Amino acid sequence: MDKKDCFNLGKITKPVGLKGEVVFFLDVDEPSYYASLDSVFVEVKNHLVPYFIESIRINGNKATVRFEGINREESLALIGCELYLPLELLPKLTGKKFYFHEIIGFRVVDSQKGDIGTVASVIDFPAQPLFQITNNGTEILLPIIDQLIDDVDRANKTISVTAPNGLIDIYLKN
Amino acid sequence: MSRSLKKGPYIFHKLEKRVVEAAQSNKKVTIKTWSRASMISPDFVGQTIAVHNGNKFIPVYVTENMVGHKLGEFAPTRIFRGHAGQKDKGNK
Repeated sequence: MDKKDCFNLGKITKPVGLKGEVVFFLDVDEPSYYASLDSVFVEVKNHLVPYFIESIRINGNKATVRFEGINREESLALIGCELYLPLELLPKLTGKKFYFHEIIGFRVVDSQKGDIGTVASVIDFPAQPLFQITNNGTEILLPIIDQLIDDVDRANKTISVTAPNGLIDIYLKN
Repeated sequence: MSRSLKKGPYIFHKLEKRVVEAAQSNKKVTIKTWSRASMISPDFVGQTIAVHNGNKFIPVYVTENMVGHKLGEFAPTRIFRGHAGQKDKGNK
């Protein structure tokens, strides 16, 4: 399993008790969705190693987990490791909601300007993520907010937007 | 040390004028600015401001929770691309 085919689930933070249990921080929107996990990939020295889960308890955005065949000494070596799951396990989103990785390569169609280019990447700024759209080598940035996105058509791989007047011209004129 | 209350918040006068005009006309226009030090006032809410980060314009759609912050806070000037040699760490 390659890291690019996975998403980051969280990070192992500390050991619990003497039976090899560990606590990991779930960096997800809905932690309860992962209450019945049976396996997870742990990043050890830049390689994803599958670990089977014997028991898991979710408490808020933290989970107490016991991995199969792992004792306390072995669990201590996993502290600080990142956890990954395959992208197929992500809950499906509908409507205007989407994961950043799934819209890469989508065409962006503006209500006034028409086709303005392809989503090259998403710049995840803390305050406001941005679409990085490429149009014949020119970069166009567009804030990802509900007010600007009209529709996400997954079948045709297009995103309909209504960009504020003059925003696209800033990039195309330069 | 915070700015004197007597002076009020700093907003570049030309930017303030354009924002007020846009808010009064109810038009959704993009306002370009190089004034990163200008504070976001309630008039800015709902407007899109293209803030220059020294290299290009970063569009910022102003929301209520941005009021009181400065425009520059939302247009980072540096991009962290990881520490040198971090990729090779696992191969040793």
